[in-house]
Amino acid sequence: MHRNSLTRWRAGAVAVAAAALATGVAACGSSGPANSTVAGGATQTIVFAESGLGTEGQQTQVAINAFEKANPNIKVSVQVLSSDSTTYLSTLEHDFISGSSTPDVFESDVTYPAKFAQAGWVASLTQFHPNMSQFFPHEVAAGTYNGTYYAVPWFDNPEGLFYRTDLIKTPPTSPAQVVSDAEQAMKTDKSLKEGIAFEADKYEGAITAFLTVDSAFGGTLNPQNVNTPGNVAALNWLHAAIYTSHIAPQAVTGWQEGQVEEQFVSGYTPFAINYPFVEAQPMVAAVKGHVGYIPFPAGPGGTPGSALGGEMLAINAKTAHGAAAWKLIQYLTSPSVETARAIAVGDPPSLPSAYTSALYSSAPYFKDVYTLNTYSAPRPVTPNYLQVSSDLQTLFSAVYANASASAAGAAFAAGASSIKSDANATPGS
Amino acid sequence: MAAEVSTTEKGRPARTGRPGHLARFGRPKRPGRPTPVGHARERGDRRLGYMLVAPVVILLLAITAYPLVYNLWNSFHFDNLSYGNLPHNFVGGANYSKMFKSAQWVSALERTLVFTAVTVAFDMVVGLGLALMMHRRFRGRGFLRAAILVPWAMPTVVSAMLWKTMFDPSAGFVDYILGAFHPAWSSIAWLGASVWRSWIAIFIADSWKNIPFVAIILLAGLQIIPNDVYEAARIDGASWWQSFRSVTLPMLKPAMSVALIFRTIQALLVFDVIYIMTGGGPGNSTETLSFLSYNTFIINTDFGEGGAMSLVLVVLALAVSFVYVRAFRPQT
Repeated sequence: MHRNSLTRWRAGAVAVAAAALATGVAACGSSGPANSTVAGGATQTIVFAESGLGTEGQQTQVAINAFEKANPNIKVSVQVLSSDSTTYLSTLEHDFISGSSTPDVFESDVTYPAKFAQAGWVASLTQFHPNMSQFFPHEVAAGTYNGTYYAVPWFDNPEGLFYRTDLIKTPPTSPAQVVSDAEQAMKTDKSLKEGIAFEADKYEGAITAFLTVDSAFGGTLNPQNVNTPGNVAALNWLHAAIYTSHIAPQAVTGWQEGQVEEQFVSGYTPFAINYPFVEAQPMVAAVKGHVGYIPFPAGPGGTPGSALGGEMLAINAKTAHGAAAWKLIQYLTSPSVETARAIAVGDPPSLPSAYTSALYSSAPYFKDVYTLNTYSAPRPVTPNYLQVSSDLQTLFSAVYANASASAAGAAFAAGASSIKSDANATPGS
Repeated sequence: MAAEVSTTEKGRPARTGRPGHLARFGRPKRPGRPTPVGHARERGDRRLGYMLVAPVVILLLAITAYPLVYNLWNSFHFDNLSYGNLPHNFVGGANYSKMFKSAQWVSALERTLVFTAVTVAFDMVVGLGLALMMHRRFRGRGFLRAAILVPWAMPTVVSAMLWKTMFDPSAGFVDYILGAFHPAWSSIAWLGASVWRSWIAIFIADSWKNIPFVAIILLAGLQIIPNDVYEAARIDGASWWQSFRSVTLPMLKPAMSVALIFRTIQALLVFDVIYIMTGGGPGNSTETLSFLSYNTFIINTDFGEGGAMSLVLVVLALAVSFVYVRAFRPQT
């Protein structure tokens, strides 16, 4: 009897545990089928996921309030997922993997659309007949996968070369002149700590800093073959800045855009490779009003260099509110809304037509940003970009920690095949 | 006729309130053992015990056992979230085979083992020294015991960020101190520029946080060693060293085993301090098994190979724990 009751009790406990587990698992896995399509004119609420906090988030809300006023049948519920890109991406992925139909529309980094498109998480925009010719072409390319548009450029952050106009009287016209100007400035102004600052920490910014310099040497970051003379020359130039000309301190190996910005706005460096946000930062008196912003000057066989950063807008493949989501995207990427956002929070418009005299009178540096946007090169557009990025970060980081003059060439020669293999990886490979 | 009274084999009366005839229905009597008594109460107690622990057991099953089993299942299947619309086919041991053949994984394993051996040995020695110091009577001992816990109580992410700042070559505390001794020792890039300097910085940050944990565990162990034993040793003419070696260390073994198991498992799973301070760089010279596992799960979104990697880590941690438990088993 004792044994029987104990057995029954154990069985009961197992059943309860199993039921609890099953309930939990079912709850975790619940997704629900996608609803049938809701027409754009119907009364509805759509969910918009974004990363903006602070003033950026506030400006998004201002734009959404205006959108709701213009479209009274559509309410927009804003989800701020995270300002941290890794957390933002993983939160989005969890939604998509669970088959969720929300968020209906979402912000996407320029490197995500190909990955989302391959996984079938993002809707093709072909059905909406988008006019992509109105945007800067490089960012359009970042949102295109296998010839189909999946994301619309929202704002366009080109990375370029900042320089102190009081120390560098005429902007350099070649990579060699950047070095000589930096050396001269360091001799002239003893308050300078270095000649150039750039991102060389092991993170995504190391790739955009490299890309900013790359095309100046005729390089392109094609994962099918990264071991090209142009790429080697570009990395050699950055490496030599640390170990040969010593215009960059070894400390750059730990610098991200924040530290680079700090060096520039504090007056410690005459050159810095960074994003446009630096223009809007508080600067010491010596720097304020003496800021130039140009594409990295081209060397022989190269073109002026700039790297594409920025954010795009895309639609969840499972949403039933595609038409309303598309209306919101059209509104947020209209010239007047983009100009207002640029004036309010400094996000560079993705539309050339949004660079108006009103914008220039409010923030003249957007003239420079416009120029950079015509040169900005996207990072490799591949569904496996995160793996390629990880490989490149490791490669650059290893080179920057190696004083050998042949480090860049050797690293590209050794790493090219694994980068190609990761870029082309298919299921099960 | 007097009522029959149930007795044990030794003639002791059964417990009051337990009718003797119920003994027939209880657990079968084993030869040579006394008849079990108090079954009804035992059953009641046991049932109450099960009920009390049931919520915790269910919770643990849900958050520990289920992920572990699911991970095991994943490790034998294709499960890459980037190809979420593809079927999760059974792939046998392919994920394990790919992992074992990967030079990056083998290097990460070597680094993890070396890091674990060095950091655990260092933490144990310094932690023991601190524990012995805190065990002595001196003014401010209470304050010191409380203060020493601060690094351990701090989240690793926070302490790693602090140490990353302190190793900054232009604004960091380390640079400031070294520069004060010798100008040539300043402006040294610790993180990202040199493999050895990166590891030294990681060791310092990791040990700063974990030594207090070891010290507190060992201090607790020291406090339960009776003074009589030391006095007896002293009467027998034992020196401090002999007393330490023959009394303190043997009697500290239980506490040391706890500290060793916890620290070893923590060190084997080291992730956050490396993620924050070096990102696995320069190159991939500071990547450990957990870091690689994170990359496989989060960057490559490969839950098949990631599952295999994390399970190997679990097996490694269990093996180490087993070795420690065997090594520190009380002598009978």
